[in-house]
Amino acid sequence: MAVFFQSLISGILIGGVYALIGIGLTLIFGVMRVINFAHGDILMVGMYLTYIIFTMMGIDPFVSVLITFPLMFAFGGFLQKVFINRILDAVAQNQILLTIGLGLIMSNTVMLIFTSDYKILTTSYSSSTIQVGGGVSVSWPLLVSFLITAAITAALYWFLLKTDTGQAIRATAQDRDAAQLMGINVKRMSIIAFGLGSALAGTAGALISPTYYIFPQVGGVFTLKAFVITVLGGMGSVVGATLGGVLIGITESMSAVYISSGWKDVVVFVLFLLVLLFKPSGLMGKSRT
Amino acid sequence: MNKTILKAVFLLLALGGLLIIPRYLESPYALHIMILLFLSVAQGQSWNILGGYAGQHSVGHAAYFGVGAYTTMMLMHTKQIPPWVGVWAGMAAVIVVALIIGSICFRLRGPYFVLASIAVAEIMRLSAINLTALTNGAEGILATELPAFKIGATVITDFLTKVPFYYLGLFLALFTIVLTLWIQHSKLGYFLQAIREDQDAAHSLGINIAFYKNVALVISAVLTSLTGSFYGIYVGFVDPPTVLGLDVSVQIMLICIIGGMGTLWGPVLGALILVPLSEALRSNMVTDLLVKVGMVSADSKIGIFLKENLSHAHVLLYGILVVVVILFMPDGLMGFVKKMAARQKREAV
Repeated sequence: MAVFFQSLISGILIGGVYALIGIGLTLIFGVMRVINFAHGDILMVGMYLTYIIFTMMGIDPFVSVLITFPLMFAFGGFLQKVFINRILDAVAQNQILLTIGLGLIMSNTVMLIFTSDYKILTTSYSSSTIQVGGGVSVSWPLLVSFLITAAITAALYWFLLKTDTGQAIRATAQDRDAAQLMGINVKRMSIIAFGLGSALAGTAGALISPTYYIFPQVGGVFTLKAFVITVLGGMGSVVGATLGGVLIGITESMSAVYISSGWKDVVVFVLFLLVLLFKPSGLMGKSRT
Repeated sequence: MNKTILKAVFLLLALGGLLIIPRYLESPYALHIMILLFLSVAQGQSWNILGGYAGQHSVGHAAYFGVGAYTTMMLMHTKQIPPWVGVWAGMAAVIVVALIIGSICFRLRGPYFVLASIAVAEIMRLSAINLTALTNGAEGILATELPAFKIGATVITDFLTKVPFYYLGLFLALFTIVLTLWIQHSKLGYFLQAIREDQDAAHSLGINIAFYKNVALVISAVLTSLTGSFYGIYVGFVDPPTVLGLDVSVQIMLICIIGGMGTLWGPVLGALILVPLSEALRSNMVTDLLVKVGMVSADSKIGIFLKENLSHAHVLLYGILVVVVILFMPDGLMGFVKKMAARQKREAV
């Protein structure tokens, strides 16, 4: 039983970070109907940013989130303004290809600068754990990153539900044309949405950097995971992405324990295909016909 | 009429040229580039049938490339079955895989289809890593010595030089081009293009969408598997990232996108651009040129940096090319050229 609870808890903890990645992707999709294939690479940029800040200035990864978040927001806004904005009306395939191209540029530019060596960000607490009782222990960095994730998610919900800008973003997501007719600056909302999405991905990258290897190609895995999460939750649904993230986290850690760690990603992808087949609108999504 | 004859003469001359090249070109490196070129043309053309003509943009063609390459190599490595027998096994395996994928993915449209195709390719890659007993896992399969190709007792070729690979590659490229040409003008081709332009309209005209999509997928997958087997025996080594990675899928697709999807010569044009460019980067030709022209000196910091790093930059180039093509010529080079020609004609009138 201890093993079960152990894997359940670590699943939920890593699921929190997954939720952050998923929310970013779903926000971008909701507002612009663009599927961002560079999402994992944006996360990777966040990881390297954290790494640079840590090695050059010695700032703890969990503190440097305060720097990473605005920087990544600006980066996302730039991507939207310069590239994504031009293809909002293009066919879906071209949008996907453009973001794939942007992702390739990011990962390979990083590779040119830092080479493809694996980097490890070692903090004093990287491998420390806390005993919870009943033989279950919790990884300290995972717990802290989960708490930060929860705080950011709560703040994001507040922003989207209570502030004017947040409501304008949701209105744009609901109906772009109607929102524009109501006097909402749709272009600005798109920049904010892409900025926020990138900032969330970058922050997720910062939060996992003490426990993950950092290398230029790390993004691909996370791009795919982000899709699984958002499709599972329902494309465009923030609540769904939160739920999907935690569910995928639990699925992964359970299948790592009860099947094998090599096959855990396969289980996730099979689950993904099943969702696509039987409930493509996801858990929280409304089906649009 | 005159134009058609001119075209035919030109094509025949080009073909003749390609056939006699190995007699005069002795540099193995130059032959290697030509072989890569043929491989890329065949890959692009295979993708083109499904992506260009039927409009189903698969980003998971690495699955077929990899299964073809792996089946051939596994049979040769463990059972000593010669590759020209293994190729057929590879194609059979790919047909099974393609039909399973088709029955799942073709229920989905647009972005969902793209996502599903990626997921399937990833499942294949992870399986190749984990099924160590069959695939030798992440280490990959190394099989450099090919048995000689015999008919009866006469040895046709022993694959000791690059020349037999040159002709095999040329045949593969020509075969895919001719097949595409045939499909383009057949009933199948028109059905596929109708599906691409408007699925619902095609359906209401009585075209069995699911069936023809699957036909396009199987043709495309089998051809891709052939290119995979060819790659496997030519390079003599396969491992999960080089034949099943997402990069492979992107690269296959890129050939068509740069050249122009759904056109006969698009993939050829795409390969003609992509292969020399990435080879020039990989072999440090660009850096050497910059040094020779005197833009950077070989001993300066920039020169050393370029020399060390530019050879890894060919994927970066892919990224830049995709972005530029999508932003400025979404129909690829063929589309761009056609548009320019049309504009000139209009201005002339």
